[in-house]
Amino acid sequence: MLTNYKTGVYFDEMMKEDGQPKNHYQWFYQLVHQFNERELMNKHETAQLNFLRQGITFTVYSHTGGTERTMPFDFVPIIIPRGDWEKIEKGMKQRMTALNHFLDDIYHEQRIVEAGVIPRDLIENNPYYYDKQIGGVRVPLNNHIFLAGVDLIRDEHGEYRVLEDNLRNPSGMSYVFQNRYVMRQVYPELFNQHSIETLEHQLSELHQSLITQVPLNAEPGKKPTAVLLTPGIYNSAYYDHVFLAQQMGIELVEGRDLVVKDDMVYMKTTRGLQRVDIIYRRIDDDFLDPEAFRPDSMLGVSGLLRAYKKGNVSILNGIGNGVADDKAMYVYVPDMIRFYLDEDPIIPNVETYFLSDPERLDYVLENIDQLVVKNVGASGGYDMLIGPQSDESEQEIFKKKIVEKPSQYIAQPTIKLSRAPAYQEGRFYPCHVDLRVFIMSGEQMNVLPGGLSRVALKEGSLVVNSSQGGGGKDTWILSESGDQHA
Amino acid sequence: MVINMLSRVADSLYWMSRNIERAENNARVLKVQLIHMLEASSKDALDKEWEEILEVCASTADYYSFYERMDRETMIQYLTISPLNVNSLMNTMNYARENARATRDILPEELWEVLNQFHLDQKDWQELPNTRDHTQQYLNRVIQTSMTSQGVIESSMSRGTPYSFIKIGKWLERAEKMARILNVTCEKNRKETGGGTHHYYHWLTALHFLNGYDAYIKEHPPTMEPKNVLSFLIKERNFPRSIQYCMDHVLEAVTNLEDGKVSHYSENLFQMLEVIQNEIEESSIEDMGMEELMQFLDHFQDRCMTLSRMFSETYYLIEPVRVK
Repeated sequence: MLTNYKTGVYFDEMMKEDGQPKNHYQWFYQLVHQFNERELMNKHETAQLNFLRQGITFTVYSHTGGTERTMPFDFVPIIIPRGDWEKIEKGMKQRMTALNHFLDDIYHEQRIVEAGVIPRDLIENNPYYYDKQIGGVRVPLNNHIFLAGVDLIRDEHGEYRVLEDNLRNPSGMSYVFQNRYVMRQVYPELFNQHSIETLEHQLSELHQSLITQVPLNAEPGKKPTAVLLTPGIYNSAYYDHVFLAQQMGIELVEGRDLVVKDDMVYMKTTRGLQRVDIIYRRIDDDFLDPEAFRPDSMLGVSGLLRAYKKGNVSILNGIGNGVADDKAMYVYVPDMIRFYLDEDPIIPNVETYFLSDPERLDYVLENIDQLVVKNVGASGGYDMLIGPQSDESEQEIFKKKIVEKPSQYIAQPTIKLSRAPAYQEGRFYPCHVDLRVFIMSGEQMNVLPGGLSRVALKEGSLVVNSSQGGGGKDTWILSESGDQHA
Repeated sequence: MVINMLSRVADSLYWMSRNIERAENNARVLKVQLIHMLEASSKDALDKEWEEILEVCASTADYYSFYERMDRETMIQYLTISPLNVNSLMNTMNYARENARATRDILPEELWEVLNQFHLDQKDWQELPNTRDHTQQYLNRVIQTSMTSQGVIESSMSRGTPYSFIKIGKWLERAEKMARILNVTCEKNRKETGGGTHHYYHWLTALHFLNGYDAYIKEHPPTMEPKNVLSFLIKERNFPRSIQYCMDHVLEAVTNLEDGKVSHYSENLFQMLEVIQNEIEESSIEDMGMEELMQFLDHFQDRCMTLSRMFSETYYLIEPVRVK
């Protein structure tokens, strides 16, 4: 079935250049060959329907309004051997520790600026730097990052690199669980021969992390009340919100369910008002509180920031995290790791050029057809140019944009993103993949084993975002005994 | 069992339940009418009947604000899959799903799936040619979806606060629809004093509309005395669609919600429930003329509206998906 499969010049997760599977895919390879074509097609169909029936959808907006879509699921898992995973795990903890130090630092002492490691401008001109609103505010456990999602890719040598940090509202965790669930339902045969890390306890870990972040002035001795604040059913990640609230056993609230009185936050219940201590919000900073941020926000709660600053409520992830995860600050994360931890980064970045540097700018303008150019403020695969896949007119448009506002853009060499087989319409073909790893922090830090493997199902495409035709895969971390098998 | 619950969520559950019940009841009326119209005597009579159906399932005034005349096909479409009619089956089922979607975290997964499946299939229905066959299938599907939903709720939901809100929505909606249908039937009877087979036909239709024919026939073999039919549909405590039964169960659900206690905030609500109970119990349906009956039913519908409002006020239910 994989006989005509070509790895090409790319690093392949599963296959070797000679057409044989890698060691840790040996079992899987053999098992797949026990299915016939028909079985594979049927299973594929069943898996997709499963998501639709359960309404595990995200909403895509266009000029004609929103449509609910499922994220296509591909059954070929990304299998990661124990050793590789341990390195990723350490690298993620290191990175999050440094980023958390950074956030705490720039809203207080600003040591990293004083030391000349990061230019003051870059921080102060960042649109997500909310010093005016929350500078000097102490957060519970000094923890700014309750749940992070870090996007990893592998280059042509198979080395893992960080592509992007998501420290605000990373979505997709529900898909990790649903992918595993559907995988077990539809392909139970595949699990017999593999011993993989379970996800079972991860949601209680998440809940545990959540409820340790009690605000300063919480009523002592009382179990804190935590809620998940969602923009509502029309938000593209609504299913994620439902899933997390349900699994953690906390109330799923909208802005209109909350009210601030005397700088305390309450939810409106059938018996009147009930005090809220911890808010895991999935609303962006600028919509949180019309008093403090955008006055036109219909999603937020008036007075929320006052309550936060008084230590009457915890807001997770912390307000103002956006300054640490944009594409410009990304370049400095290795420096942060050295500065705060005095360590070398375990998982490196992708090489990145600032276009505000005139020398770099010239280089980029000349070599734009070989580079990836990204808007520092955009995400989701929007406002970016993939040099080798663009035509001249597109390149011209970007050159113009860059020259107009060089500080708004960064450039990276086109990485030969690793690939893995995907199965669609009766055949296996190679698709580019990345991996979003989830890190939860409270009193302790915990990395969810595996994460969300995203796959660009359109052949040749490099964009894995679900809003642009990307799909998902289950991710298996082989447990110790599993490693010996492989 | 006094547990707090988000008012918005309680409100969504209440309206989800009302919308499911409304869709089922309207689908049944339509289903019965599609059969009955095959036996109608004249076109005039038939048109009049359809107007009555419109009055039961939606609003005649609204219909005429969109269309100039009564056209049967237009009307069937208006009542089933039209986006223009807020009470069309498609819209009520969509509201129910939206409400369920906003409360997914506390509903049984299967309930969401049942409503979601209907929604997924609905797209196909809209593309099918508008034949009688397809309409019948669609109506059956609405009824089945409602019944399956109720089955899931009964068999898997804890008898807590969310359950009570769902039940209250269902019983209130059902009682109101019962009153509405009987009102139209009485009106028809009053106009046609000729007596004879006509009456038989009206009451038979009412029983079919309200899914009460089988149950009634067991109690009153093959007679169709208006008095018997009316007191069966209004006062029969064992028939799960009678007004009395519905109101008994609203009271029971509110009592459960309040753990059997009357508090200062729920005092008015309990009082109103008691007043309604007494009014039904003290009425002697058998002795009333059509005129009186219609007054009684009108009055009851007003009471339902007051009750619904008081209920919303007591539990801070705000911003319903839709108010009639």
